[in-house]
Amino acid sequence: MADIASSEELPAAFDLARIRRSHRADHIFHALTRACSVFVLLLFAGILLSLILGALPAIEAFGFAFLWTEAWDPVREVFGAAAPIYGTLVTSLIAIIIAVPIGIGIAIFLTELCPRVLRRSVGIVIELLAGIPSIIYGIWGLFVLAPILQQIIQPGFIEFFEGVPFFESLFTGPPYGIGMFTAGLILAIMVLPFVTAITRDVFETVPSVLKEAAYGMGSTTWEVIWSIILPYSRSGVVGGVMLGLGRALGETMAVTFVVGNAHRISTSLFAPGTTISASIANEFTEAIGDLYVAALIELGLILFLVTFLVLAAAQYMLYRLEARAGGRS
Amino acid sequence: MDSSSPEVKVSIEGLSFFYGSNAALKKISLPLYANKVTAFIGPSGCGKSTFLRALNRIFELYPNQRAEGKVLLDGVDILGRDQDVNILRLKIGMVFQKPTPFPMTIFDNVAFGLQLHEKLSRSELEGRVETALKRAALWDEVKDKLHVSGNSLSGGQQQRLCIARSVATKPEIILLDEPCSALDPISTAKVEELISELSNDYTIVIVTHNMQQASRVSHYTAFMFLGEVIEFGATEQVFTAPANKKTEDYITGRFG
Amino acid sequence: MNSIYAKRRRRNNMFLGLSAVATIVGILWLAMILVTLFYEGVSGINIAVFTETTPPPGLDGGLINAIVGSLIMTALAVLAGTPIGILVGTYLAEYGRYTRLAFVVRFVNDILLSAPSIVLGLFIYELVVVSMGHFSAWAGAAALAIIVIPVVVRTTENILVLIPNTLREAATALGAPRSHVIRQVTWRAARAGMITGVLLAVARISGETAPLLFTSLNNQFWSTDLNAPMASLPVAIFQMALSPYEDWQRLAWVGALLITMAVLFLSIIARVLGASTPSERG
Repeated sequence: MADIASSEELPAAFDLARIRRSHRADHIFHALTRACSVFVLLLFAGILLSLILGALPAIEAFGFAFLWTEAWDPVREVFGAAAPIYGTLVTSLIAIIIAVPIGIGIAIFLTELCPRVLRRSVGIVIELLAGIPSIIYGIWGLFVLAPILQQIIQPGFIEFFEGVPFFESLFTGPPYGIGMFTAGLILAIMVLPFVTAITRDVFETVPSVLKEAAYGMGSTTWEVIWSIILPYSRSGVVGGVMLGLGRALGETMAVTFVVGNAHRISTSLFAPGTTISASIANEFTEAIGDLYVAALIELGLILFLVTFLVLAAAQYMLYRLEARAGGRS
Repeated sequence: MDSSSPEVKVSIEGLSFFYGSNAALKKISLPLYANKVTAFIGPSGCGKSTFLRALNRIFELYPNQRAEGKVLLDGVDILGRDQDVNILRLKIGMVFQKPTPFPMTIFDNVAFGLQLHEKLSRSELEGRVETALKRAALWDEVKDKLHVSGNSLSGGQQQRLCIARSVATKPEIILLDEPCSALDPISTAKVEELISELSNDYTIVIVTHNMQQASRVSHYTAFMFLGEVIEFGATEQVFTAPANKKTEDYITGRFG
Repeated sequence: MNSIYAKRRRRNNMFLGLSAVATIVGILWLAMILVTLFYEGVSGINIAVFTETTPPPGLDGGLINAIVGSLIMTALAVLAGTPIGILVGTYLAEYGRYTRLAFVVRFVNDILLSAPSIVLGLFIYELVVVSMGHFSAWAGAAALAIIVIPVVVRTTENILVLIPNTLREAATALGAPRSHVIRQVTWRAARAGMITGVLLAVARISGETAPLLFTSLNNQFWSTDLNAPMASLPVAIFQMALSPYEDWQRLAWVGALLITMAVLFLSIIARVLGASTPSERG
């Protein structure tokens, strides 16, 4: 079969060699991009592997009981993850309970109520605030929020709920100012811009034709939100919330300052406690003894696995919303 | 116009095209004559753009798109697996519907193709760029601002820049995919004038949804419908005395 | 009829009112934090902050070693992570767009994007610190690089996917091989977006503390030795804020203010750069 490269007169200065070389360069570039992509996968696998290997001494020593043992005794080398796990879950839950309604509320305000002139600026403000590093929230929490809680809010809550069944045990004990409730509050303010931004983006994927159709029938703004926007973007909103939860679970600096660092499970939200990341941050550099270090790494492994599950679920929900939006357009 | 023995530049033989399992072109066979303008008309979705994109194998950028059959350029099947696709695209230039200047200066835009394939000195390069811009009737308007971004030109100028870019590499065939549909009437008239001039030196294939344009600029016209060529012949004959009823219906506006 | 409508109106106003309240609460809360930060931080700023190193408690000093340490490690992390991130983003958007490998990589990348950074610190501790036998700036930079990569991958892929296909086709139609099209045309068109991605990555790692805690540790003295523990602003703040010493706490606020200003500054520039759409750029 004849080759067009040889069949016709090519321009005099034609550089056949260069063209052949550029094909090879093309292959190399392609391979390079693919290799780097595989590297990302290897990175992930490497993290998982190194955590498992590092935690092995503790896994062998304590087995599954590690998950529900509350004791944390570096001297006698008895370690249990129950308190950090409990603290992580409780603080994150508080954060989500507070941040989600406010975040959705702000997103609703931004997409439906806010005058168009302001919309962009408020949106920018929210995104800038999402970028503030967590250590800033941590310091603020320690020096500003904790005293306020200690002097005003916590005594107030304790007095208010005195005698009220169930709630009394939640809000009791000396008003330290720091503790799980404070940590939860700080986490809430950290997660808030994040949840707001995602929810707003999700709301904006709702096709305007749907909204216009509803408005055209005389619905009020709230009715459009409740009956059209929220159901349509439901999986996206859930995905956004789970993404926020995933962030909250892994947050270290915001929490370490104010959580109290006590390896204890208490029913009262005002009591000091600890979270997985706070334990690691506070104790790792001073941990002596292989078992101590391994126990801390095992905590890290648990955290990694839990956040992986939450984030994977969040991705799934967000993909579903994207597929839906794509399918309808 | 002497149509008794025009030279065949490209011979299309049994060309079929598939998007996945969907046949968009069904065994198309026709000749493209050298240094003549062949227009492809037909309603939306008839496959005319698909046909064009099969000729320079641009569809290979996407998965699930494939062509079968033969396209013989001067006797060589350009759809063959062993053909160097980059050299093929040196010989076949393409201008798209939406003007797409590259994010670089006007000069670099036109020089882009030259610098890919040829080893030229700076002065040779400048000469080739000037020639190309003159052929595209753009030189006078940009000669003083060659180092300005291509994006700063108007829509019509950008399209002529794209034409200059394509002719710079001295292709033998130029494919035009609805080149005027994004332009205003004045720019359209300029581009059409250009097409007539260029056909003296290049074989031109133009896809257009504008029948009047086809009758204005082309020597030969092919009417396509649902992936098949219904009629092909000299433009005058196709428009004044179409042999096929469907062609007549389309031309008189009964559908499409 | 009228009373039903009135009820609907009331409900509408109530919920919308609540959302306005939420917005005010949110903005006020965040404003309060920033105001405190500025107030406390500004009152501690003086030349010494930028000329003297971190002092032992009770003495005067500054933050210059921490600032420089952060700059060095940030620069290293960006140098290492950006090329990898851009190449991966290019694979996801160009060569591998419809492949299964790309799907998996995207998924894993998004997980890494939001993964707890302290866990990344543990990973680098085991990989680098243990094998080297000591803490070092290399380890700190490596931990930060792992944070840079997913950010750059994400932003690069996002911006490349926005570049219209006709641009690629026009370059391909001239006979350019794929890598040439990507490097000379697509990347150029996406340049501002990619720079935005790098700026966002820098902003993100500027404030990261957890991954540095047991990789680069901290260093009370001036040091630019990459093989030794290196001071950084976030870790210095961590240490000083948790102490009972007032002058240390004051320095912590100053450091916090510096970081926040850097992050806000970078984010604003990134936003301004990213504001013009790809097709408008020349």
